Amino acid sequence: MSDTATPPYGLTQESAEADRAALARTWANAKGLLGWLSVTTHQAIGRRYIVTAFVFLLLGGIEALMMRIQLAKPENTFLAPARYNQIFTMHGTTMMFLFAVPVMEGMAVYLVPIMVGTRNVAFPRLNNFGYWMYLFGGIFLYVMALTGAAPDAGWFSYVPLAGPQFSTGKGVDTWAQMITFTEISALCVAVEIIVTVLRMRAPGMSLNRLPLYVWSMLIQAFMVVFAMPAVMIASTVMLLNDRTIGTHFVNPWEGGDPLLYQHVFWFFGHPEVYIIFVPALGFISAILEANSRRSIFGYSAVVLSQVATGFIAFGLWVHHMFATGLPQIGEAYFTAASMMIAVTSGVQIFCWLATMWTGRLRMTAAIHFVFGFIFIFVLGGLTGVMLSSVPLDLQSHDTYFVVAHFHYVLIGGALFPLFGAFHHWFSKITGRMIDEALGKLSFWLLFIGFNVTFFPMHILGLNGMTRRIYTYSADLGWGSANLIATAGAFLIALGGIVFIVNALTSMRGPVNAGEDPWDASTLEWAVPSPPPNYNFVYPPVVSSLTPLWTDPALRTVVTGLRTDRREVLVTGVTEAEPQFRYILPGSSIWPFLAAAGIMIGFCGSVFAFSWYFVASVLGGIGFVGWFWPRRPVEVAP
Amino acid sequence: MTSARTLDVSDLPPYEISNRAPLWWGQLFMAIIEGCLFCMLLAMYFYARLSVDVWPPPGVPPLKTLMPTLALIPLILSAGGSYIASEGAKKANRRLMLQGLCANIALAAVFLILRFIEWRTFNFSWQSDIHGTFVWSILFLHTFDVIADLLMTAVLIVLLAVGRYGPKQRAGVHVDSVLWYFLVLIWFPLYVAIYWGPHLMRAQ
Repeated sequence: MSDTATPPYGLTQESAEADRAALARTWANAKGLLGWLSVTTHQAIGRRYIVTAFVFLLLGGIEALMMRIQLAKPENTFLAPARYNQIFTMHGTTMMFLFAVPVMEGMAVYLVPIMVGTRNVAFPRLNNFGYWMYLFGGIFLYVMALTGAAPDAGWFSYVPLAGPQFSTGKGVDTWAQMITFTEISALCVAVEIIVTVLRMRAPGMSLNRLPLYVWSMLIQAFMVVFAMPAVMIASTVMLLNDRTIGTHFVNPWEGGDPLLYQHVFWFFGHPEVYIIFVPALGFISAILEANSRRSIFGYSAVVLSQVATGFIAFGLWVHHMFATGLPQIGEAYFTAASMMIAVTSGVQIFCWLATMWTGRLRMTAAIHFVFGFIFIFVLGGLTGVMLSSVPLDLQSHDTYFVVAHFHYVLIGGALFPLFGAFHHWFSKITGRMIDEALGKLSFWLLFIGFNVTFFPMHILGLNGMTRRIYTYSADLGWGSANLIATAGAFLIALGGIVFIVNALTSMRGPVNAGEDPWDASTLEWAVPSPPPNYNFVYPPVVSSLTPLWTDPALRTVVTGLRTDRREVLVTGVTEAEPQFRYILPGSSIWPFLAAAGIMIGFCGSVFAFSWYFVASVLGGIGFVGWFWPRRPVEVAP
Repeated sequence: MTSARTLDVSDLPPYEISNRAPLWWGQLFMAIIEGCLFCMLLAMYFYARLSVDVWPPPGVPPLKTLMPTLALIPLILSAGGSYIASEGAKKANRRLMLQGLCANIALAAVFLILRFIEWRTFNFSWQSDIHGTFVWSILFLHTFDVIADLLMTAVLIVLLAVGRYGPKQRAGVHVDSVLWYFLVLIWFPLYVAIYWGPHLMRAQ
């Protein structure tokens, strides 16, 4: 479509080539360290998010293996009890805050602008700022953990255990402030995604022609906007201030309430699960559409189910608190709402099954991961329906049954689709095809390893094994199931190694993917692989839900955007009619400096509240530099 | 392959300063995020209030309402300054923008001074009890946001005064007003809850 080899009507090959060269100059990133820190193109920032998140996945995975080694046999002494507490806290924290959310944000930062047919996100410098906040937060947590201030009160840091009385040291403070870093990052991406999707779509891409993946990210971004502030209140305002300046949010002796912390945390924490899961649903739709070579069955039903999931997700949080003795009428409401999620998920599963059934399915590695998702996620969903019933939940609360359930829904519901997406879009991001055979091998290792690890945990939980214990005595009879689980964990590790080897070796191969190796329907397959910084020489005009499957004779492209500055087109919210042009800012070092200044203050704030003023002053200087206009300030038409 | 047809957009304006600008949308969502923080604090405030019989706790007199009510006058008027500035931004009228922003910052400063004077009459801190914790948290967060917005306004005044501005900075003036309207509007429920709430709920 944007191929200059066949220039649009009325343009010569030479003028199209000149446009391409001018765009390449305008959108080029500066060289050197300064240039690297100042990058504002979404492809570079998206790649950084993804690579950083996978490094944290590796760290979280190593922590998981250490726990499994400790639990492999009764009364093992591989990890001391205190160390075990730190390891499971770091595992959960890393996976939720430093891997799962950022990797979904990174994929969206990379894919969404191309899929809606524009050249960058709406706020490129904010994008750069958000990445550094995320990276600094992750480094802060691990540096503090390795220097002796590891958090050890679990990934949700319940009070009073995490309060000033029972968790001395700086571990919990570090945990709380790491949340602030990563939530700021997630909120930055959410705002960018919302504005990019609502205001910068290709002309003609009305909301009912929005690709399903973009829908899923739009819904996820709205959920981030409404959910993430709650966790900042819980961790930064309630927990950290109680610990550092003596407020009484969670102190029952002065009228505070530990239960209030749970309410606020889970008001974020439950939507969080869907913030990770909803983008994965978008991956599934995109992979299935390309590989079953038909549009997704029941487009409207899938979109409406995802919107409904987004709403219901905010009415479920109390099902994490069934064991706290809340009024029965409240519990009944949250049971019903929790069961309702099965309906919206079920609608989507059936739409995908219908798509596969009526399409011509191609069994790629990515499709293997989709099948893995369906199998594992449905099992996790079934235990979810069981746990939503209060009497059963009271029996299995805080046992390995719950551990099994949430690993089935999170690994099955998010990690398998993510791995599928990685195999699907690897060719687009790197320009090289990933090895399909190794991809399928890694799938089978991960799939078998996953079930061997986590299925026995259901039984262990029903037999009474509680979460977060560092060991157990031999006469309880949990030894063999735990040993099997540990063996499965190593199978997962093997699958992970195959996956990494596959990615690294495929990356060294020749650039051979071409624009559209899968004959897919969405716009990211219309640009070269890897995409140039400007994505499209001539941004597309969209006339159907599956633009690349539209008759080429009917295709239209946008001309008249200037090539000597970073110009994009702003279109209407619902119908995407062209409204005006819009100049995106170029590279700048200030977002990095602002993030660094805020980082200094936030790191200090775990020791004293006054460091917030340092963060404000340094961040303020950074923001003024960021907004200070470069000449010329006037805009020529 | 056939040549694609074209849609020429070179006649469209290169920017627009209105509620359709992407920057306006970004600012809107940033205000929503900030609004979620305040709503959560407010919900928590009532959660804490409803779990005790006496509020504020014994020994702490209910907050006086005169001073914060008087302070509403400059606050509401300051939004008028923002409005004038944003209309000036749309019309590219430098004088209107400067007048509006200066009125905004001066009236907001009066509001803040009244607030700081009032704080000196408080006989409790955030460490006293849960009531003090909430009142100070709400006041701190709102004051922090107000000061941050005023600094942004001051930067815009400097840029306008030295003439170093173009459409992007005018768009900045326009969205600055969005943030200010938000900070004025969100203050009303917070003000009613922390100043009038103890009186109204005691009367029952």
